[in-house]
Amino acid sequence: MEALRLANLGKVFGSGHLEVRALDDVSLVINAGDLVALMGPSGSGKTTLLLCVSLILEPTAGTVVFDGETIYQNGWTGVDVRRLRREKIGFVFQSANLIPFLTVRENVLFPLDLVGRKGAAAERRVTELLEYMEVAERAHYLPALLSGGEQQRVAVARALANRPKLILADEPTASLDTVRGKKVMEMLKQIARENQTAVITVTHDARMIEGFDHVYHLKDGRLNNMVSSRYSILFSTDH
Amino acid sequence: MDLAIRDLKLHKGRFLATIIGVGLLFTIVLTMNGLYRGNVHEGTALIAHTGPDLWVVERDRGGPFNEQSSMPEFFHYSVAAVPGVEQASPFIYYPVERQVKGESRRFSIIGYDVFGGLGGPRQLTQGRPIQQAHYEMVAHEKLGVKLGDRIPLGLHTFTVVGLTREAVATDGEPLVYLSLADAQEFLFQRDNQEVRNQRERQRRSLVGGGLTPQEAERLLPLLAPDIHTINAVLVKLAPDADPAYVARHIQDWLYFSVFTTQEEIDLVVRGRLARMSAQLGFFRILLLFVAVVIISLVIYTFTMEKIRSIAVMKLIGAPNRVVIRMILEESLLMTVSSFLFGLLVIHSIADLFPRKILILAPDTLLTFAIALAGGILASVLGIWQVLKTEPAMALGGR
Ligand SMILES: Nc1ncnc2c1ncn2[C@@H]1O[C@H](COP(=O)(O)OP(=O)(O)O)[C@@H](O)[C@H]1O
Ligand SMILES: [Mg+2]
Repeated sequence: MEALRLANLGKVFGSGHLEVRALDDVSLVINAGDLVALMGPSGSGKTTLLLCVSLILEPTAGTVVFDGETIYQNGWTGVDVRRLRREKIGFVFQSANLIPFLTVRENVLFPLDLVGRKGAAAERRVTELLEYMEVAERAHYLPALLSGGEQQRVAVARALANRPKLILADEPTASLDTVRGKKVMEMLKQIARENQTAVITVTHDARMIEGFDHVYHLKDGRLNNMVSSRYSILFSTDH
Repeated sequence: MDLAIRDLKLHKGRFLATIIGVGLLFTIVLTMNGLYRGNVHEGTALIAHTGPDLWVVERDRGGPFNEQSSMPEFFHYSVAAVPGVEQASPFIYYPVERQVKGESRRFSIIGYDVFGGLGGPRQLTQGRPIQQAHYEMVAHEKLGVKLGDRIPLGLHTFTVVGLTREAVATDGEPLVYLSLADAQEFLFQRDNQEVRNQRERQRRSLVGGGLTPQEAERLLPLLAPDIHTINAVLVKLAPDADPAYVARHIQDWLYFSVFTTQEEIDLVVRGRLARMSAQLGFFRILLLFVAVVIISLVIYTFTMEKIRSIAVMKLIGAPNRVVIRMILEESLLMTVSSFLFGLLVIHSIADLFPRKILILAPDTLLTFAIALAGGILASVLGIWQVLKTEPAMALGGR
């Protein structure tokens, strides 16, 4: 089942001689349960692509179809993108962006609260997610008291709360050591398989992409599909 | 999920410090309210307590409290003869500064007809009213004298026969009640040397004006100053009399000014107290302004520290209203808690002030309403930051 389709996507910043073509004719299809990596040197347009897919940046050209709904068509949208974000997309950030004044439990409850899911059912969902991410014993701590890896796992739990169709992760392992980074990646893989959630993750680290379904490489805003195999080989990285 | 309370819990220390600081500002604002009300209360209590139907004073004068007023004593008989007047009594009111028990004290003398006239003290806390024509006094407790004390005033010594607490003079100083004759003598009679000196001056100007010394000698007693002066006549109306009609009659035929008790109170409030009100009002506005600025800055820093979290919230789809509500609630919580703290402080220290601090519910409510509006205003800066924050900021960089 198709989760996301980008067709001839373009994004231009500025105009005239200040014009930056951050995305240029990008097309790709991602199915439910796909695990996708996005690689590329700094300034190649990875974050811009992620922002377009997150429905935060409006592309200047092309089409975004998400979960069967056309969101952007040639720079136009008539959709409540914030509602789509809170209901259907989960985010994991470079360094865990947990809300510092909410406990671990409340952080995971927050997106449920936003879509109006409250009470015992919501509480059960939180417990289930924290157990799944192996941070249940930290439930009542403030994020500042957790290790980086634990924080990142709470962030993944938060991203999963509303059973999103799509999870977007921007360098989720950047602030973690290899062992912990691998563990987070393993969990993302597991989530993609078990929940049929499409996962797109930006990464710099070729060692992390083992077992990804697709690895895309961005360069100057243009996309190359490097490999389309479930068991990938090592890539040379850009650093 | 209440975000505001959770955020403030994490920043307890700063929250409490702000409440104490801003709360004390509110204390000062409330003190100024109370100071003004206390002044009005003290400034008008004597008028309200004396409370005759009409005050008759010198023509075109706002006397006897707001301005000096004087008239010959016998005029109260003329006022008494006006149709509709049941009783008319002479009244003296005069602020002085004299030695009492070895200390220089400011107080006001009230002279009234002690044999059934209007204008005397209504309730005594101790002792009895003045019963003799001479040398007895009733004093306000604030003067610091005791029953039976003998107090020299002017040429005579007075015995304290009663104490009162009901009203103070319009400037907040204590009152001393004397019989009319004693008050006149104390206030207008000069001592013998002064009388002799004046008589000598007058003799010389009469002789200088062309009279023989014998003629001058015969005229002198007629020029002696008349001490039978009063400051006002208090009028009690007959039950069915129309105050406006009686007032007009007295104004037109006796050539005095006439005020009701309420008008007399208004004169004082508009006159002496208006300036003070303006002064305090200006201070109150300034202080409220400072309070709003402080809360704004605190809320602004609270918001800026959270700006990344706010970006995250927006990114994961929180509508603006969720975030704005958090900022607004923090601001209002801070304002309301500060106000309550300020209120608590003023209520516990009001009695320590030397002058009366009168805290009235409508004043407090109005101040609260203004504070609340200020609290909303204070969050504007923070809310503006919230609206400006791009969700993209959460995804690294921009
Ligand atoms: N808001 C913006 N305004 C102008 N130029 C931008 C903006 N965002 C990104 N760019 C430009 O677009 C290009 C791609 O940026 P970005 O997507 O952040 O790359 P990456 O995440 O791969 O490092 C860069 O040249 C960057 O300078
Ligand atoms: Mg980037």
